[in-house]
Amino acid sequence: MTAFLQSIGYGQWILQALLLLPLIGVVPVLLGDERSARRTALVITTLEFVLSVGLWWSLNPGVGVPQLVTNVPWIRSWGIAYKVGIDGISLVMVLLTTALMPLSVLASWSYITTKERGFYALMLTLLTGLVGVFIALDMFLFYVFFEIMLIPMYFIIGIWGGTNRLYAAIKFFIYTMAGSLLMLVAIVVLVWKVRSATGELSFSYDYLLQNASAVGSAAPWLFAAFALAFAIKVPIFPFHTWLPDAHVEAPTAGSVVLAGVMLKIGTYGFLRFAVPFFPQVALSPAVSRLMVVLAVIGIIYGALVALVQPDIKKLVAYSSVSHLGFVMLGIWGMTLQSVQGALMVMISHGFSTGALFLLIGMLYERRHTRLIADYGGIARVVPVFSLILTVVALSSIGLPGLNGFVGEFLVLLGSFTAFPWATGIATTGVIFAAAYLLWALQRVIFNRLDDRENEHLLDLTPRELVVMLPLVVGIVWLGLYPKPVLERMEPASRRFLEAAAPGVGPSARAALGASAGRVEVGR
Amino acid sequence: MNRLDLSTPWGVTLALLPEVVLSGWALVVLLVVSWRHQGPEDSRLAGWLSFAGVVLSGAALAALWVNGTQADGLAQMVALDSFRYGAAAIALVSAGATILLSLGYLERERLLAPEYYVLVLLATAGMMFLAGAEDLIVLFLGLEVMSVAVYALAGFNRASAFSAEAALKYFLIGAFASGFLLYGIALVYGATGTTNLSLAGAQLAGKPLGPMAALGLGLLIIGFGFKVAAVPFHMWAPDVYDGSPTPVTGFMATGVKAAAFAALVRVLMEAFPSAIGTWQPIVAGLALASMILGNLVALAQRSLKRLLAYSSVAHAGYLLVAVWPGTPAGAGSVLLYLLAYSLTSLAAFGLLAIVGRGGERDVTLDDIAGLAATRPGIAFALAVCMLSLLGFPGTFGFIGKWYIISAVVAEGHYVLPVVLVLTSVLSAGYYLPVIMAMYMKPAPSADRYAQVRLPAPALGAVTLTIAAVLLFGVWPGAVLDLAGRTGTTLTQTGVPIAGP
Repeated sequence: MTAFLQSIGYGQWILQALLLLPLIGVVPVLLGDERSARRTALVITTLEFVLSVGLWWSLNPGVGVPQLVTNVPWIRSWGIAYKVGIDGISLVMVLLTTALMPLSVLASWSYITTKERGFYALMLTLLTGLVGVFIALDMFLFYVFFEIMLIPMYFIIGIWGGTNRLYAAIKFFIYTMAGSLLMLVAIVVLVWKVRSATGELSFSYDYLLQNASAVGSAAPWLFAAFALAFAIKVPIFPFHTWLPDAHVEAPTAGSVVLAGVMLKIGTYGFLRFAVPFFPQVALSPAVSRLMVVLAVIGIIYGALVALVQPDIKKLVAYSSVSHLGFVMLGIWGMTLQSVQGALMVMISHGFSTGALFLLIGMLYERRHTRLIADYGGIARVVPVFSLILTVVALSSIGLPGLNGFVGEFLVLLGSFTAFPWATGIATTGVIFAAAYLLWALQRVIFNRLDDRENEHLLDLTPRELVVMLPLVVGIVWLGLYPKPVLERMEPASRRFLEAAAPGVGPSARAALGASAGRVEVGR
Repeated sequence: MNRLDLSTPWGVTLALLPEVVLSGWALVVLLVVSWRHQGPEDSRLAGWLSFAGVVLSGAALAALWVNGTQADGLAQMVALDSFRYGAAAIALVSAGATILLSLGYLERERLLAPEYYVLVLLATAGMMFLAGAEDLIVLFLGLEVMSVAVYALAGFNRASAFSAEAALKYFLIGAFASGFLLYGIALVYGATGTTNLSLAGAQLAGKPLGPMAALGLGLLIIGFGFKVAAVPFHMWAPDVYDGSPTPVTGFMATGVKAAAFAALVRVLMEAFPSAIGTWQPIVAGLALASMILGNLVALAQRSLKRLLAYSSVAHAGYLLVAVWPGTPAGAGSVLLYLLAYSLTSLAAFGLLAIVGRGGERDVTLDDIAGLAATRPGIAFALAVCMLSLLGFPGTFGFIGKWYIISAVVAEGHYVLPVVLVLTSVLSAGYYLPVIMAMYMKPAPSADRYAQVRLPAPALGAVTLTIAAVLLFGVWPGAVLDLAGRTGTTLTQTGVPIAGP
């Protein structure tokens, strides 16, 4: 496979292709008629996924630095470049994105019935933005992608969302923008501080990472700006209030992408930027304690609030707050297990929460209600649906053998030495997760079938099965054999730990910062 | 690089070629319209003639700019540097777009007096004098030529009481502002014995600012504060913007503001570089007040025109942040932001003029509900405008804000950039509902927008400006470098030169 990929020069063009393909795909979607838009979008997103799979083999698994780097000057006099590349962390995030996207398109097949061209065009634009965020190695480029994907999501929520969609859309937009604009100032300050120390104006990630110590006493403020932007995105308690609104009001595909991918941009930002740039601040006892406490509050609070939700979509939305708390705990655990665990939670949360939102969307299409009280005993009417829902719910709870277990276990294991108390309390989050999901499961698919309207629900159609089966396979595979994924991520996780570990001198950081497998164009 | 001797009549004429061409052309158009001012055809003729004048003047400007023409010795009355050319180019772009947008508008609103275009040309000539003035007297002349023409334009809709109110308010406040400015000029002259900016700068250099010069500086800043509608001198802006014919509002918000800001930057950087410690806190205070108040009050507006008026107050605040550093990069960012803001606002006011009927005084958010369903092009263009005004990546507005932040951060100052971005977040609260109304709300009836017509000249102007907003948003390299260079030329002349 590797030889074949090399023979077609895969590494040189793939990242550019992944960014351009969806944008090019927008054209036929907009020019075609309304009903064929979904088919075109499905073809494009599937093609994107197939193309992206090759990344798995073209990445040198032993190396932690970004690979397949392309570097083209963009705004030359300002040191801004189109610079992209991937390491193990980017790889799994890109694959998660490209995998969820065709499924989301397929799930919108009958859900989206108005202005279909616009919807699918926005989904494709969103895909470009999401992939771009995970592969950008230039701070300016990263910022542009980070912001630009707000627009498609804003429209997706605002046009095709539920009854309260306008409020949810603007809240989502303003929350995210408030954080990211402060980050913009922080990026500019970082760049100028580095420039006054080294004399070179550059927005390159590697360059800034090597010289980030030049910021001196401004580091706490800069870290705060970066952390705020990403904390809102994750979201960390108490910045989470946009999340339930946005997730609940968004159409199914929007919720899947929001929960499956966009939340991870926040934790990815911590792993990639906030912590490695300012390790002295991020890992100082005060900040560590604060972040861990917020993470644990998120875990417990998210779970408790999920427990009392009458709306099942809101329940899943709050469960995301809880799961993302594990990721934050894992990042600040600062051991290889905890960081790897955090990454695993990011992936498996994408799978299982994405699957839950898809299933809820399918249920909603049939009954047009999401209230748990309106269901009950539907396992007898829709057995296949109920089976899949049970598997997915168990994976979200963290049942051993399914994907959710691996990540949360690693996080708890890895964080215990550093934060025994916090980890101990976080463990109860797993129990709460079992409580809210199993209780919801019981009320939805078991109990007595007492609502006559539920007697004639249709079971999953073949199309819906096609949507769900890949996710179920992924859930089981990641649960039983996560080793390949963990292996791919390990060098990047190690690099994160080394870059972030206090006491690592500038020379060691310089060695870590150098990129391998560089493709220089136009220099 | 050409050198012009400004002490000879020929040299001055060449140095003022764009202004001379434009003023002369305005007189020609005035002659033409005194014979032909009957119907729509005559109005159209005057419009296209005037547009040709703008193009000719632009060609003259380009000739000066491309040759890198510089003054031989001291620039006596008018500057010969890229900063003047850049500011003049923005004024010409604003005039050209205004003329194109007015062509259909005047016919629709039955404002068929072709003198309108002559006033636009004269105002533009005034702007160019103002932006290029190297002498306080020339500056004042330019300001008055511009202002008088714009007063008349504001009240051009004689049938509308609001238009008359706008003109009167603008005139009264404008006269007031001119008074401040003139007093300031007199005091500066008293303190330095010269009205030439560079010479005044040389006189003031190296010693603490005396009370007379300080008072003069303060009065000048107040005068400019009125002209650019910075808080607390902004009270006239909403009513005047609201009452004036919409293309005129666009012209006021862009051309007038650009010229006044260019003159302010030149005065501060050439005459008062030594007093930077005195004027920086004043500018910072005006900037903070304008950003905060402008954005907060804009949040409460329902009428789109008033919303854009208050947002223009907020943008004056952003521009004052760019004035604050007093560095070449700062001056460059003023010009760049003016260009970004002008292109965006011209398109926005142009689109607003198209959507409204019978005077757009009451175009509210509800009046554009569901616009995207039937008029996707107009809705898309207006959405791009809103995102650019918001400063969203991918649009020119973002590049402008980013450049301002860079210029200020480079000086090691962080409060103004942070307030700038935080108030930008506030502005999302009123820019986004415009997009929301167009895309996410249903139209009141299916044929609500059937009569919305985009005349060909307006279509051209909007298409070009929107294309520029997007193009410079994605490929800003060339225009960034240009802005950076224009900023440098300003301080070169600002270096104190020994008097004659």
